[in-house]
Amino acid sequence: MFVGRNLQFICDLVLVIWDLFNIMANYTLKKFGELESTSAKAKEMAAQGAKPWTVVTALQQNQGYGRKGNAWYSPEGGLYFSVVLPKSNIEDLQTMTILAAYCVANTVKEQLDVEPMIKLPNDVYLNGKKVCGILTENVVEGEVRSSVIGIGVNTNTDYFPADLEAATSLKKELGRTIDNDQFLEQIISQLQNVFKSISQ
Amino acid sequence: MKFKFNNQGKDYDIEIAEAGGKTLITVNGKEFSFGEERQAAVAAVPQTIIPKRDMSSKEVRAVLAGVITEIGVKAGDIVKTGQKLLTLSAMKMENEILAECDGMIKEIKVAKDQKVKEGDTLITLA
Repeated sequence: MFVGRNLQFICDLVLVIWDLFNIMANYTLKKFGELESTSAKAKEMAAQGAKPWTVVTALQQNQGYGRKGNAWYSPEGGLYFSVVLPKSNIEDLQTMTILAAYCVANTVKEQLDVEPMIKLPNDVYLNGKKVCGILTENVVEGEVRSSVIGIGVNTNTDYFPADLEAATSLKKELGRTIDNDQFLEQIISQLQNVFKSISQ
Repeated sequence: MKFKFNNQGKDYDIEIAEAGGKTLITVNGKEFSFGEERQAAVAAVPQTIIPKRDMSSKEVRAVLAGVITEIGVKAGDIVKTGQKLLTLSAMKMENEILAECDGMIKEIKVAKDQKVKEGDTLITLA
């Protein structure tokens, strides 16, 4: 019984700390083990009234997708997340999509001391191979109702199928494991700064 | 004025009189009056609430220039508010275009992979 009470107290404390972290971070992080797609989940949550800067992340996606519904290979190890964006006009969202690649490339550069390349409008390459894909989805019902930006970064992916020879991971290129949580935090922070500047 | 009238073997005693601007017609003792009351009845018609129906078409337009990558409906389909109609892609943004109102797909004015300009009509709803 004593153990049970302590365990409950620790669980409550962890939840309080987690909430405080989210408040300080200025975004709400929703972590999942496996999802079909973080963007599909984020869109669903946006339709149900999720706040802007709700970030949905999963350890792996079993139906991750890119543009035109193309599959995005999403095994455990990579960083997959989608962000519910504040309501904006379509021009700002277009700018945001392009600048998201800059945010990822900048994070790669600052944290790993390498020179990634941005392929316009929004792919990030390292050593000539793709390490990141970005897709913004808007739901338009007369006007833009909600927007979700989905970002997949091949951080620690060890293996790619033969048909993805143009893809690589940061771990494969640099020979070291990437801290996904740290990466996520920095990308979100940069996205928020960029969004603030373009929506002013 | 009084008169008898036979219709298909049945007799009718009809009397027509005018008084105070009203016309009173009596048929076999049953009275029917016209005049001010009738006008009042006519005047009452506009007060009846008849639901207005917007018979005009509703156009779904492109919010930005891009390419139609998916069409999820066909002419004649009945759609509900919020139902996905098509996807418009531009600069790596995919825009799910939803129906703004309930209705029937009257015409689809674009085809898959067709380029569209901002403001182009994509679909008309009846």
